Amino acid sequence: MYAATTIGGGLGTGLLSFYLGIGVAALLRTMFGYDAWDRDFNATIGYIFGLVGWLMGVGMWGTWGREWFGLKIKDPHANSRKELGWQRYFMFNVDHKVIGIQYLATFLVVFMTAGLMAMIIRLELMGSGQDFISNKTYNTVLGMHGIMMVAVAVAAVVGGLGNYAVPLMIGADDMAFPRMNALSYWLVPPVAVTLLLSPFLGGLETGWTAYPPLSVLTDSAQTFWNVAIITFGLSSILGGLNFVVTVMFMRAPGMTWGRLPMFVWSMFVTAWLALLYTQGFAVALIMVTLDRIAGMGFFDAERGGDPLLYQHVFWFYSHPAVYIMILPGFGIALEVIGHFSRKPLFAYRYAVGAFLGILGLSGVVWAHHMFTAGIPNYLHGPFLVATELISIPTGLIFLSALGTIWMGKLWLRTPMLFALAVIFNFACGGVTGIFLADVPTDIHLQDTYFVVAHFHYTIVGGEIFGLFAGIYYWFPKMTGKMYNEKLAKLHFWWMFIGFNLTFFIMHWPGIEGMNRRIADYPESLQTANLIVSLSAFLLGSSFIVFIYNFINSWVRGPAAEANPWGARTLEWQTSSPPPVENFLTPPVIAGHPYDYGVPGAAPHVTFFPPAVGSPAGGGGGGQ
Amino acid sequence: MAVIAAHGHGVESHGASHMSPEKRLRVNRVGLWLFFFSESIIFGLLFTSRFFLLGTHQEHVDQFLGLVITIVLLASSVTAYTAETAMEKGNRKLAQWALLGTILLGVVFAVGVGFEWSVAEFGLKLSEEHHQEPQNVVFGTVFFTMTGLHAAHVVSGVGMLVLAFIMLSRGHFSKESHWGISSTIMYWHFVDVVWVFYYPALYLVAG
Amino acid sequence: MSKHLIPAALLWVVLTAIGEATFLLDWLPVVGSPEAEEWDLIFNVLLAMGIPVFTFVVAALVYAFTNFKTSNDGVETGATFKGTGMFPKVWLVATSALVAVAMVIGLVSLSNLQADKSGYGWGEDQAPLVIETTAQRFSWTFSYKDKNVELLSAKDSELLLPIDTEVKFELNSIDVIHSLWIPAFRMKIDAIPGRTTFLTVEPHKLGSFETDENFRVQCAELCGLNHTIMSMHIRVVEQAEFDAWLASKQAKVSR
Ligand code: HEA
Ligand code: HEA
Ligand code: CUA
Ligand SMILES: [Cu+2]
Repeated sequence: MYAATTIGGGLGTGLLSFYLGIGVAALLRTMFGYDAWDRDFNATIGYIFGLVGWLMGVGMWGTWGREWFGLKIKDPHANSRKELGWQRYFMFNVDHKVIGIQYLATFLVVFMTAGLMAMIIRLELMGSGQDFISNKTYNTVLGMHGIMMVAVAVAAVVGGLGNYAVPLMIGADDMAFPRMNALSYWLVPPVAVTLLLSPFLGGLETGWTAYPPLSVLTDSAQTFWNVAIITFGLSSILGGLNFVVTVMFMRAPGMTWGRLPMFVWSMFVTAWLALLYTQGFAVALIMVTLDRIAGMGFFDAERGGDPLLYQHVFWFYSHPAVYIMILPGFGIALEVIGHFSRKPLFAYRYAVGAFLGILGLSGVVWAHHMFTAGIPNYLHGPFLVATELISIPTGLIFLSALGTIWMGKLWLRTPMLFALAVIFNFACGGVTGIFLADVPTDIHLQDTYFVVAHFHYTIVGGEIFGLFAGIYYWFPKMTGKMYNEKLAKLHFWWMFIGFNLTFFIMHWPGIEGMNRRIADYPESLQTANLIVSLSAFLLGSSFIVFIYNFINSWVRGPAAEANPWGARTLEWQTSSPPPVENFLTPPVIAGHPYDYGVPGAAPHVTFFPPAVGSPAGGGGGGQ
Repeated sequence: MAVIAAHGHGVESHGASHMSPEKRLRVNRVGLWLFFFSESIIFGLLFTSRFFLLGTHQEHVDQFLGLVITIVLLASSVTAYTAETAMEKGNRKLAQWALLGTILLGVVFAVGVGFEWSVAEFGLKLSEEHHQEPQNVVFGTVFFTMTGLHAAHVVSGVGMLVLAFIMLSRGHFSKESHWGISSTIMYWHFVDVVWVFYYPALYLVAG
Repeated sequence: MSKHLIPAALLWVVLTAIGEATFLLDWLPVVGSPEAEEWDLIFNVLLAMGIPVFTFVVAALVYAFTNFKTSNDGVETGATFKGTGMFPKVWLVATSALVAVAMVIGLVSLSNLQADKSGYGWGEDQAPLVIETTAQRFSWTFSYKDKNVELLSAKDSELLLPIDTEVKFELNSIDVIHSLWIPAFRMKIDAIPGRTTFLTVEPHKLGSFETDENFRVQCAELCGLNHTIMSMHIRVVEQAEFDAWLASKQAKVSR
């Protein structure tokens, strides 16, 4: 009831404002002597109006906007109340735990949708020749798969698990700016809807990179796509800002930087990356949009513009973005490996240094995506060097992970399996990155399936495996239920084998002369593609197990204990799921989060006074 | 953008249940600075693009007009500063007048930019009559985009100033608690600083 | 400690040996030019280096996975070292050294690519045969400079190149970004509106699309609807055959 009215209200005001915006645009155009109707221009203005209307309607006005005019606002926590049950998740809710689950659920749906599109891609590529979908459909499907998956990789862990776990892990009762947090989330649904509508608005032609001049000239849903992605960028920036401030100021007493859990470190660094670089994508797309709707000439060579400008600005964001995608994966992997090895995390300081090193270097390597783009010769060398330098901090993550499992007592539950797989997969993805970073080898490999294999190994192998490690790890905390271990392990092995078959083999057609973003290829590549496609179906079907296990366990699973993993960190020292205010008594941090089995080590957390009903503080195996 | 910077008008309450007002203020301030930091990257990328596309090439722009609007904008920073210090001293009357002055100067600046647009000797289209060189068009592209983005910030800043003014007149804010005004004024200063970089890049660089 | 180190190291050696055994298979695509030879060399060196890095990680994971696991619900704890000693420093030095080697290999080969007569990207030098290439959605136009012969990918079936002659492609694009890629030569460069890019190759093997599908020009930058089909077959022929072909073409044009 509540949920229906808020969502309905948002849709209502959103749509009304959308039409209002179109009208305003038409009015303005006639006033300045243009044709009243220009699809892309009017739709852009309409979209902006509609977006604001949607946000206000869905609850921002009542809990926030009125304040700007000095009016009384509704208590922003009204929607966090327990008695609202599942309806909490469909409202403008400021509780970080609710927002985390909203993010996670939304992006799992997006992931499944984009994954099904990958299945369409593989179906088309199963045989050489044009056998299943047209070139136009292929490009649309490809573009949607690419951008939706990138969105998943950028936001599912940060927005979902990060929102849920970070305040808990640092002992805060919420994020620093709870209402802005809700705003970040509610910006996402319009983006998802716009992207999903794009096949009906003219399709997509440019892949996820949207290079001009094609993106300027194309007669497709490009403008909608642009504004949607800019919105998504805004959401990422606000989210990043929120995390940075939260980690800086909301830590519980005693939670020094040297005691921060790895996952929190990774979120902190990721948030900085999002805050520093996301603007690049936005600026690049604003330029494309202006070229399209306002007749500007940034990328029009005939009028003196330069198409390469876009690539510089775009990759200025999109390379750091790949670290936005992988660092959360590393964070989860180290977190889980730390707890499930029952041993202090190896070389903690080096691992933190690695995160900071990656943060520092990620901004100076972007042109490695442009080695064959006719950039001046003097740029090749420096970017080669800078790119390969990143392997050194990345290597330290491996040091920490491998050092931690060495001589440990590995408890091979599902989260641990996924975390170890992150290390395994990313080793392959990272090493293939070196082949691409060496200019001479990249000249042949650029834009081939070798690159596709590289980035699926890094993103899917690193981030998505990390995401699932995190989902299984925090599932008991989030839902208060335990998942089914047998099915979870089945999911893991099925996915792991399917993944490695698909993408390991994919390097080969790349080297043998198969370029990406094509619906058809020479016949000699037939066998390789058939094998890849079949493996991809194997990989895709593994998620059926996950979906079943996820839903079934959430609804019917056995109740979970507060700390099923016997982990030392804070989020496990409160009930599953935690109360709205997270901790009944304020926690105080006394020791390092990973000191398993260290004689005389202080517990990570103590409560003053000890909370009634909460498990013995900071226990964990062997103590 | 206005929406975000205005988060400061009130006090976040949930996370604040354990947060003292001083700490809340500090957190808000850092948040706002980070927001400026992030925005300055947008402005910086456009700034860099201008030199990437055109080097130091410049088209004829109305130097007098440029100087005037620059002075107007700098003057508005002074009035904004006056409003802030007046608030700190609890002088609401002065603060109101200073805010009003800032709003007026801001409007004058925005109108000035609009006028500049209408008299600019470069455009976005190649046309026979105006004998436009291609570089002309790129200059127009860069000029309109940079001044346009900046002007959009000025306009949203004016909107926020108006809100602050109305609320102040209605008796909100006090000597001790006026984050709504402070944040708006910080935002205004930020927009001014951006112009300090944009003005030379568009008007003074000569090549 | 060493009780585990030796078997783990053995595992690493075995895995590496299996990995390096791939060099016994001759699986890289057809080598059509010295550029491709150079590419194969660099690729193989990087592969020879990359395999032990990968198998190191795999060996450590597999060994730990099989030897350090417990099933007693996480009660038992492992060793308590924290990695504050020498080992991380050694690791840092070792990985830095490896990365430095990879960089040097890349930089040396890059300077060859850019310095010699061929030139890459912004190269200036003239080659005996220059082909002015224009990319356009969705076709290629190849115009043999000073020879008065033009080939269109939409009309003509093959692009002929003489063997052992340096051929320089001068690329332009009319509309959007395209990319000229010839897999058999392992070379590629984008065609960008508003600027001219260069690419030089010296085919040293006779061949054609029929003998190997990598003898083709392929557009390697998504350029829209029919990007997929924007390609053209290549045939590398003896100089004499090439001259004869050119002459017949010229005769056709002048008629
Ligand atoms: C999560 C995402 C992610 C990550 C982490 C990376 C990591 C890296 N990437 Fe990747 N990359 C992508 C996602 C990612 N990439 C995507 C999406 C694209 C394509 C975009 C598009 O065009 O659509 C791409 C494309 C891409 C290109 C351009 C290819 C082309 O189009 O021509 C290049 C070139 O340099 C590159 C290089 C690298 C390198 C050197 C790393 C390094 O960070 C890897 C470092 C890690 C290791 C090396 C392994 C661990 C280290 C050790 C065990 C120590 C010892 C190691 C050595 C001695 C080598 N990547
Ligand atoms: C997070 C990032 C991410 C993820 C997870 C994936 C996942 C997958 N990707 Fe994706 N991919 C990209 C990011 C990602 N990709 C990007 C950025 C591009 C570049 C786009 C561009 O060039 O612009 C790309 C491009 C790309 C291509 C290249 C197309 C081309 O260049 O022409 C291919 C081809 O095989 C591919 C395949 C796959 C497959 C098989 C999966 C699988 O892992 C997917 C598995 C998931 C599912 C299948 C969904 C869930 C399952 C169910 C709902 C159960 C029911 C399903 C069945 C019974 C089948 N991807
Ligand atoms: Cu031309 Cu792709
Ligand atoms: Cu990159």
